[in-house]
Amino acid sequence: MLRALPPPARRLRRPHMFRLQRILSLLALVLATTAGQAQTPPDRPASTAEAQRFLLQATFGPAGDDAESLMKLGYGAWIDRQFGLPATSHRLTWEASDAAIRAITPAQGAGQNEVFDSFWKQALTGPDQLRQRLVFALSEIFVISGVDGAVGNEPRAMAAWLDMLGDKGTTTYRQLLESVSLHPMMGRYLSHLRNQKADPVTGRVPDQNYAREVMQLLSIGLVQLNPDGTPVMVNNRTVETYGPDDVAGLAKVFTGWSWDCPAAPNTSCFNNGTSGGVSDPDRQFKPMIPYPQFHSTEAKAFLGVTIPPQTTPDPRESLRVALNTLDAHPNTAPFISKALIQRFTVSNPSPAYVRAVAGVFINNGAGVRGDLKAVVKAILTHPEARTPANANSTGKLREPVLRLSAYLRAFPHISDTGRWRIGNTDSAANALGQTPLRSPSVFNFFRPGYVAPNTATAAAGLIAPEMQLLNETSAAGWVNYMRDNLSNGVGSFNGTVGTTVFNRRDLQRNWDFELELAVRPESLARFVTQRLLVNQYSEALKNDIAAQVASITVPTPLPDGSNLAAVTAAKRNRIFAALLLTMATPEFLTLK
Amino acid sequence: MTTTHPSHSARRLFLRQAGAISALAGSGAPLLTGLLAAGSAQAALNPGQYGALVCVFLFGGNDAYNMVLPTDTASWNAYTATRNQAPDSIALLAPGTAPVPGAAAASPSRLGGVLPIAPANAQGRSFALHPLLTNLRTLFDTDRRLAIVPNIGPLVLPTTKVQYGQTSHPKPLSLFSHNDQQNTWMALGPEGTTRGWGGRIGDMIAAGNSRAVFTAISAAGNAVWLSGDNVRQYQVGNSGAIRIGADSNGRVYGSTAVATALNNVVANARGSHVFRADLASVAARSISAEETLRTALAPANQAPFGTPPTAGTYNPANDPLLRYLNPLTGVQATNSLAQQLQVVARLIEAGMRGATGVTRQVFFVSMGGFDTHDLQNRNQADLMARLNHALAYFDTTLGALNARNNVTTFTASDFGRTFTSNGDGTDHGWGSHHFVMGGAVRGGDLYGRFPALAFKNPNNNNFDGSADQLGNGALLPERSVDQLGATLGAWFGVGSSDLLQVFPNLARFDTSARNLGFMSA
Repeated sequence: MLRALPPPARRLRRPHMFRLQRILSLLALVLATTAGQAQTPPDRPASTAEAQRFLLQATFGPAGDDAESLMKLGYGAWIDRQFGLPATSHRLTWEASDAAIRAITPAQGAGQNEVFDSFWKQALTGPDQLRQRLVFALSEIFVISGVDGAVGNEPRAMAAWLDMLGDKGTTTYRQLLESVSLHPMMGRYLSHLRNQKADPVTGRVPDQNYAREVMQLLSIGLVQLNPDGTPVMVNNRTVETYGPDDVAGLAKVFTGWSWDCPAAPNTSCFNNGTSGGVSDPDRQFKPMIPYPQFHSTEAKAFLGVTIPPQTTPDPRESLRVALNTLDAHPNTAPFISKALIQRFTVSNPSPAYVRAVAGVFINNGAGVRGDLKAVVKAILTHPEARTPANANSTGKLREPVLRLSAYLRAFPHISDTGRWRIGNTDSAANALGQTPLRSPSVFNFFRPGYVAPNTATAAAGLIAPEMQLLNETSAAGWVNYMRDNLSNGVGSFNGTVGTTVFNRRDLQRNWDFELELAVRPESLARFVTQRLLVNQYSEALKNDIAAQVASITVPTPLPDGSNLAAVTAAKRNRIFAALLLTMATPEFLTLK
Repeated sequence: MTTTHPSHSARRLFLRQAGAISALAGSGAPLLTGLLAAGSAQAALNPGQYGALVCVFLFGGNDAYNMVLPTDTASWNAYTATRNQAPDSIALLAPGTAPVPGAAAASPSRLGGVLPIAPANAQGRSFALHPLLTNLRTLFDTDRRLAIVPNIGPLVLPTTKVQYGQTSHPKPLSLFSHNDQQNTWMALGPEGTTRGWGGRIGDMIAAGNSRAVFTAISAAGNAVWLSGDNVRQYQVGNSGAIRIGADSNGRVYGSTAVATALNNVVANARGSHVFRADLASVAARSISAEETLRTALAPANQAPFGTPPTAGTYNPANDPLLRYLNPLTGVQATNSLAQQLQVVARLIEAGMRGATGVTRQVFFVSMGGFDTHDLQNRNQADLMARLNHALAYFDTTLGALNARNNVTTFTASDFGRTFTSNGDGTDHGWGSHHFVMGGAVRGGDLYGRFPALAFKNPNNNNFDGSADQLGNGALLPERSVDQLGATLGAWFGVGSSDLLQVFPNLARFDTSARNLGFMSA
């Protein structure tokens, strides 16, 4: 791997870094050429459009001088800098919202909506874009959902879940998997919290939920994979990675885990997270702790590994062996790598792309397995991600959350309350048909292997996960939601908050700059399409939009200003028409 | 439960439809056929007669062990011994047990005993339904419009317990996996299989539909069941089709030109990227279908579909017809399944009236939340209450439309669940019991042998005393999804050679067993 050399030390000053980088890229070129591999792409975008395209993959959308900044730094340094930025806690944001709400209406408090608001606040305004984008990606692989009451009733812990994904998602896969497995919200969602060992007398058996899904969805998947992510075929058939006995064996590992609790491990703590009226106020997000008396001591056999019978129940040792086994399984690197590739760059990565990223997963160049920052860097800098391909099958559909975020970053709004009250966007008919952390099940909003029946995509033998959300209702819902967002602003309506009268939606934009452009339809159309479609549109489309904009008549302003309102209204309609037409296009809805 | 006044609403609808018939001469024929047939036992659909299949998918894997229960002594003892586990017993209580009002919400004690039913052929045993399936019991016992298909699931061919243990014996791929078994129920293959049997049936009968787009309709998101070789799913919103962009005056931001342009940009892919082609194609279907449904659908807020609001605009969430009694809170609550079935009923009425250019349709609606690994008492009770309410609402509405004989509704789910309890829930299984409802259904009976329930071997998780129960008591299906689909397909008018194409596993079942017999022949 090209990352065999250690990264330049931070104390190196800029000129040295540049020299080292040049040496490295030369070396890379030589190595690549001699190995006959695809040429390593340059570390720096060649144009603003290329920079914007990268930012559409790596962030919630380019904003402000993001592209310029990326062009100065280059991809690698930009990624390193992003991961070095401090994180903003979603839980603390949620708590601040909770306090703000209670200050005005003591009987109320923050709920799930304030979790989503914090997500949007960070997505739209946070400098740590890559981390938050990774959090979103991980939330669609390691899924918990507020649709489930056990999770949805604990919004503070949902916010903490986002923090955990950002914190552990930038360490190693093994650490992330452990934090996911021990998070009480996952414990509630997949029901291993309070799971008990078998009772041979009565015939009770351990809950198998987490044991099954941690294998199917969070680590190895259903069928054996080659290092490039393609399925191993024996006699023209796939080979299953596990069967019912493996599930039953692993289920025993996930017994005897429950709430963190001052009086642990007493039974009341295990059952209710409280004993004698004393509980830990943070138990909903503090890692679950072992309760040995409820942990199975039987031999636990799964995936060719057997944890021997325990004379003294040792839940932590059982967990260590189980998670090590999952981490080390040959499937895990290609399975997780491909899943992350699909979340960032393309739906149908080539086997070579998966193999390259999985290689970094296996070893980041410094002997570390599962270094997720290195994996993300490998995903974003791979030639297949960087070279703007003209093929008719590259890229991915933009999922609804990322469409809205791209618009709001390209055309920044303010939040009247400072809370970015976008809230629940579940409705496919009237909103996005997608709310972060509200997947219908642990199988996410869409499956990584989704093939949309009767489509050109399916006919081409291609997968399009995000297409699982596309139908005649959601197609109309998106356009109508944005139509209203443009003319009214975005998010919840604020009436009077405390003593401040808003009477408008929370997110608002000052359109002064665009109002200047509105009298020049071609300029307006060019401005809007460049911002939102980057380089992924035709001149003809831009001209078409310009013609439609021009069809809205702007009255000639009268010298006395008496028709100013009508003039402004017409100009605003031109702006909104240009934006709505652009965001309705198939060009905007895909990211090539 | 809530009911309408069928005679009143039906008359009003008939008067409105009569107007439609005089305006659209030929297209009224299916309606008249339906009306004439009302009240009499209806055999298989005639050519040209309106017909619909409605799949109610219970996502997550419904615990049918607690939905349809054998109550003969041997079965009941095995059931109680297996399912009465600490900390939260999921063993429902014997018929006749009085509910304990002070017991925890939705606990077996609070619910009271299971509801005995009287199948025409009880197979020498006795049976009951979950305590909250009160309406379904009436539909089964009294109305005889509800049938039960015991122990059904995906199968490649008939399979014994011994054969299950043989690796060489063909079995469905990725058993026990949610997404794959959902896909297998819908499309007879794991995730990635893209031809569903509802859509394939649609292929066979679509020639009679002048508007192919309305052949296969989902009110519940993308469902592979509806996708055939040619038939594509159309997605409708609960309140009908949604118009892209334009307001009721056909304008966007006050401009008709922008509205027209919007339709053009969304529905045309510039270039030849496949994703963009598909995006444009869906948008084009959305626009064209909405143009029809805008005027074709009867209003939701009128009987028999809904209740006119006393004030303000109609909100289905507040319509008492679409609300059910939540057993956890004891108060009425919105029922998403009833809302989906409302738009399906409106589409059926429009279809029968000839307003949508179809004579046969397949519909998909769904509920989620059946993956009851824990808190099963609460979660499943709430789901049973919703299913009970929504199916009764649908049956009542179809009755008012004189459409019961034209519409057959059936349940489906990822899989059944384990017989064993994990302390407060159940895990993934395979075979399951399902309902079929409609005027053309030979209701009030079980169609197929009900499986034997045994005690767990204390030394392992096997159920040696039953030929039907695998590890943890998961049911080995005796009937296949292919047989269920073929039985429905035959009623729907699909010929037997076509059925063998749609259901590739069917040929491996005995000829006499290919039709399960629950539809009037």
